[in-house]
Amino acid sequence: MEERSSKIAKWCLIGISVAFFLLMLIVPLFEVLYRALADGLEAYGTALGAKTTLSALKVTLLATVIAVVVNTVFGLIASWLVTKFDFRGKNVLSTLIDIPFSISPVIAGLAYIMTFGRTGWAKPLLDGINEALGTDIALVFSVPAVVLATIFVTFPFISREIIPLLYAQGRDEEEAAAMMGASGFTIFRKITFPHIRWGLLYGVILCAARAFGEFGAVYAVSKARGKTFTLPLEIDALYMAGSADSITQAFAVSSLLVGMALIMLILKNIVEYRGKRDDL
Amino acid sequence: MYVEMKEICKKFGDYEAAKQISFGIEKGKLVALLGPSGSGKTTILRMLAGLERQDRGDVVIEGKVVNDVPASERGIGFVFQNYALFRYMTVYDNIAFGLKVQKADKQKIHARVMEMVSLIGLEGLEKRYPNQLSGGQRQRVAFARAIAPNPQLLLLDEPFAAIDAKVRKDLRKWLKDMIQKVGITSIFVTHDQEEAVEVADDIIIINEGRLEQMGSPIAIYKNPKTPFVAQFIGTSTVLENMVGFKGYDDALDGKKVIVRPEFVEAFKSDNKKFANMMNAVEEGVIENVVFRGSYLELTLLVNGVRLTTNRSLERRHVDIGEKMCVLLYRVYLFDDKGAEIRKNQLLKGIDVEAL
Amino acid sequence: MKKRGFICKTVCFTLLAACTAMALTGCGEEKEGGTITFTNVSYDPTREFYEAYNELFAEHYKETTGSGIELVQSHGGSGSQARSVIEGNDADVVTLALAHDITAIENAGLIEEGWMEEFERNSSPYTSTIVFLVHSGNEKEINDWDDLIKEGVEIITPDPKSSGGACWNFLAAWQYAKTTFGGDEEKMKEFVSKLYHNVLVMDSGARGATTTFVENGQGDVLIAWENEALLTLQEYPGEYELVTPGISILAEPSVAVVDENADKNGTQEVAKEYLNYLYSEEAQRMAGKYYYRPSDETVLQEFADTFDLSVNLCTIDDFGGWDQAYEDFFADDAVFDEIYAAQ
Repeated sequence: MEERSSKIAKWCLIGISVAFFLLMLIVPLFEVLYRALADGLEAYGTALGAKTTLSALKVTLLATVIAVVVNTVFGLIASWLVTKFDFRGKNVLSTLIDIPFSISPVIAGLAYIMTFGRTGWAKPLLDGINEALGTDIALVFSVPAVVLATIFVTFPFISREIIPLLYAQGRDEEEAAAMMGASGFTIFRKITFPHIRWGLLYGVILCAARAFGEFGAVYAVSKARGKTFTLPLEIDALYMAGSADSITQAFAVSSLLVGMALIMLILKNIVEYRGKRDDL
Repeated sequence: MYVEMKEICKKFGDYEAAKQISFGIEKGKLVALLGPSGSGKTTILRMLAGLERQDRGDVVIEGKVVNDVPASERGIGFVFQNYALFRYMTVYDNIAFGLKVQKADKQKIHARVMEMVSLIGLEGLEKRYPNQLSGGQRQRVAFARAIAPNPQLLLLDEPFAAIDAKVRKDLRKWLKDMIQKVGITSIFVTHDQEEAVEVADDIIIINEGRLEQMGSPIAIYKNPKTPFVAQFIGTSTVLENMVGFKGYDDALDGKKVIVRPEFVEAFKSDNKKFANMMNAVEEGVIENVVFRGSYLELTLLVNGVRLTTNRSLERRHVDIGEKMCVLLYRVYLFDDKGAEIRKNQLLKGIDVEAL
Repeated sequence: MKKRGFICKTVCFTLLAACTAMALTGCGEEKEGGTITFTNVSYDPTREFYEAYNELFAEHYKETTGSGIELVQSHGGSGSQARSVIEGNDADVVTLALAHDITAIENAGLIEEGWMEEFERNSSPYTSTIVFLVHSGNEKEINDWDDLIKEGVEIITPDPKSSGGACWNFLAAWQYAKTTFGGDEEKMKEFVSKLYHNVLVMDSGARGATTTFVENGQGDVLIAWENEALLTLQEYPGEYELVTPGISILAEPSVAVVDENADKNGTQEVAKEYLNYLYSEEAQRMAGKYYYRPSDETVLQEFADTFDLSVNLCTIDDFGGWDQAYEDFFADDAVFDEIYAAQ
């Protein structure tokens, strides 16, 4: 009797989970594809090839790549500091790493404007740097602003993957290597890195996936369509354009994002699989 | 003296891990740092290695004071308790690591690594990863890795703690043989006295950060200098208020007495071997008989005190409750001032060791 | 010690790399072989119009000067757009929904005094008005302002704090209340209160409100720019109806050169030309095509069939000008806040 009722419970749970996923994920994704192709393949191709779409794609990719690189380096450093050393303020650093998770991205965007905008307190400093270097870098309403906002929002992803791995590894192997005269860099390269390799890759994928889809923070600091828009902003603009054509275009560009997300998902699964297999 | 520690002191916050430790070790010797958990022995080892820095005192290696010399430059091979093998490298790469860091010639590295591999008896397993080896094999690789760069001193931190009991015995013998073969001065930390006694040339006993005694295993066993050593070594019972034992008069009054099983002899009254010692015999009743694998352990109640003795399986059968004749050959006496061996006065003249 | 050195080096290297990357991307305003980049920060509904106008202007510019020009557009609620310019959005010109938003930019020091006189007709190249958009059939029978406060009517109108159109909407409603209740402040406030009570969704911009009403299918009536309503009728023929209320307001979107930015970018001449060209016949006709009432009377007459030219319109002057109106109604703790807080 008990076995049967637990079997029923099991199938109920599975059923609910499947229904949830279908409703919240699968159905909307299919809807996107369906609406994207509503006007036929040619219109789909035109939408993807439009100047504004390509510009948005370029900005999204640029922001993602830079965010991933910067966050990998700083994520590694921050994780290393937090796990290998004991210092005052270690807990503060640990909390700071997680801040982008807890605050709304829109607030991050607004904070950027408050800091680097024309009326921001850091503007004179930025002007000074610009004068000294002879450049014209703007940190709001520009592509650098988009990049910075993306970096901020995706920062914790890599640290969070690496920190548990570094903790689990402990200091023994590194001490053994240090005893034999290995330099810090050698220790990192030969002993630490192989251990965190898959976690790092996983974090990179998560970071990239998040960067693709960032809307709130970027929306606050990017206003020029065809110049500083990312794909999500471009989709919003197409949808707001209101005509039946532009809505189909909005879905077409959305399907592009969906495609990128699916690629990330597949990569993530591969990494997870390889990581488990190589788990030593 | 090849390796010396002079008046070493170390505190971790309020906890004193080392209190004026001084000792010297000759070249080529295999020494055990023996003590209970938390006695500070691992800290001493790490200070020797340079992994910890002493608050006061000097570490001297080959006549040079190495206090300010970093661990990697002291010419020391270190074997960690949990091996700390590089899990993402093969056995070959693990052993080769120290030499690679020294930027030795590739040919030389290969020759040396293969020499090590054959020394530790793991030929054919060089391409394996640590997780593909048994505990004993890993320990051997850790050993090879430590001595591959030809260190002057080998330090081992509880090398057998993580190994199965059965394998442990074999591995101990193997390690002793290896170290003798290679001829390297070695110090290892352990809390297992059986291990220390079996493997080491000399034993240094550490308790609560203090050096209790240093000497050969037999010397320590037979002539413990401090109460702690007397208790720590061998299986012993500590007794108080031992009164009325023949042959000891008042010597036992008010003192703590350590009695080892080999100090006690229990025999049946008709045993002719002890016929000339019947004047020193006490009467005892067997309270418990426990089989210890290769002998019996008897617990007897004698003069209101429980004594333990070991009985060969070759002797006659005994039962619980049986009355036995009990001889107490000698005891260790100690109080706050010191420890001494006290022999049974009534047995003077009789060569007890010849029995 | 070695570890710290390594960390320092990596940090410096990354910072340098990141700065270089950003500098390269930031130097987008370079003139490549004579092409100027020019930014027009506009309000929400004008997306289609300026897309078309920019093409027209680019051609005109090429013909007259021989150089190419890259035109960048930004759209959003008029108030939000003005704020973004104040905060650093590098607009060469602004084409916003109401003069007050441009005045805000002037007060921040980016536009010189007297901007309104710089272009014809108070720097208002096109005008519009406020109408209602309802679903075909007009089931809820919404014909005038008083129908909006009926129970069960769901209104879509944007937020005056960010949207210019929303301000015009509010003022038109207020004007109706003023004429209906003969200036009785209490009754007027009550009317507007009831109206905003029926508001279902408040978007941040006029176009956002249209999207909510049309694509997302929310609400029974959209209080909208006339141009938005007409555009919707064109996009979705037969699905909607435009209802002209008995009284409405002449909405005058304004344009101006953002002097500080134009000077910095060296685009003063281009900016003036860009805005002046809005008054040309071709441009005026294009405005009409996109349902903005051309300010040129003659051209306006060509669109007599498109626009209801007989609507009873008040103007911002009836409210004492924008500065006064904004202070009375849309500043902090003014009438709108009063009404909205009481909801």
